[in-house]
Amino acid sequence: MTEARRPAGSLEQEVLAALAAAGRPLTPAEVREDLGRDLAYTTVLTALTRLYEKGALTRGRQGRAYAYTVAADSATLTARRMRQLLASDTDRATVLSRFVAELTPAEEQLLEQLLRDHGPPRRGRR
Amino acid sequence: MHVLMVAPLIGAALLGLASRRLTRVLPPSASVPLLTATALLEALAGGAILGILAFTFAATNSELAALGHWSVPVLRRVDPVPAPLGILAAAVVAVLMGAATWRAGRATRGLWQADAACRRLRGHNVDGLVIVPDAEPDAYALPGRAGQVVVSTAMLRALSAAERRVLLAHESSHLRHRHHLYVAVADIAAAANPLLRPAAHAVRAGVERWADEDAAALVSDRRLAARALARAALARAHANPRGRIASAALSAAGALIGDRAKALLSDPPVPRRALTLLIVTLAVLTAVSTVATARMTEHRFELAQAAWSQTLALEQAPAP
Repeated sequence: MTEARRPAGSLEQEVLAALAAAGRPLTPAEVREDLGRDLAYTTVLTALTRLYEKGALTRGRQGRAYAYTVAADSATLTARRMRQLLASDTDRATVLSRFVAELTPAEEQLLEQLLRDHGPPRRGRR
Repeated sequence: MHVLMVAPLIGAALLGLASRRLTRVLPPSASVPLLTATALLEALAGGAILGILAFTFAATNSELAALGHWSVPVLRRVDPVPAPLGILAAAVVAVLMGAATWRAGRATRGLWQADAACRRLRGHNVDGLVIVPDAEPDAYALPGRAGQVVVSTAMLRALSAAERRVLLAHESSHLRHRHHLYVAVADIAAAANPLLRPAAHAVRAGVERWADEDAAALVSDRRLAARALARAALARAHANPRGRIASAALSAAGALIGDRAKALLSDPPVPRRALTLLIVTLAVLTAVSTVATARMTEHRFELAQAAWSQTLALEQAPAP
């Protein structure tokens, strides 16, 4: 696990996350639009193809393009394993640091205020 | 006994007092290593001083003196340690060593289990990302030789694509910089010296700030990073109302989301050489005092040993 081998959030991760969030098959064009960054179509397509070849995605024809979904089997299995892990007596305090932990009511207000003041409407979601 | 012996005590107390401010003022990528290394040094120095006190007291036992070949009366004269202090030092050092060993054992076991979990997840991740179908919004980094970022689908749905990028960058930063090791070392130091507890909390909070700063730098947008944090925290709070807890327990957990969001909405912290130098000086002073104490004690034992040899020579000399 060297610095070079672990880029800070690769595009493939982002694409996989986008598909998992969508919860329905997306075409490369839809993925590109959802990511909302200045990415070339072929860049997105390459990432999708790589993920497909790794078995992380399944795809089906949708018109002229393929539409991609997260491969469900491995994910369900993973979910069960993760619950087992978190239920075990791992010294979580030392090992895990959650992105966001618990909130106090005062902090909740502060964060809602933050989103009102600084939050443009979310893009690409209903 | 010497006045220098209080140096680790003062050093640890000062570091404890300064640690919260340090993590606020310095860039977290500077404050976390600095705090962790200084805390470890203060813990070791404190343990060494208590050990020296306890040993010097124990050395006045005649059987131990016979084994070590030193004169008890001379040792008492050159290095007097009052009995209550000697006994107290021995008791405290035993308890704290036990606590630190226990903490170290727990940390090692936790990291071992996390590593085993990472290996089990092999084949279910893409570039170290594992997505778990789950209705509860959650995201964390699982450290190991091949560490994994674990994110639930509910968390991904709560965020926009740009915000998801912040989240992934934050968790990758934890793994890339091995933040779990800093947390573990600071925790062990705090177990060995409770005065260092604020420093350990500051390290725990500091690694979150460090990952936040890394994520904000990757997306080149501090407000976006703050927004991602707020959105994720609120999604989690709404999905799990029992998750809202009293602020006292929260500050013990170390990472206050409100503070993190405020820090991201302000300018990034800049390195401050003077402040860093001050902490380094504190560490150096503690180290020098501790080594000086050890050398002084060694010298006193040498005096007591010389006296013992002399007595022996006199006893063995043939009567004139």
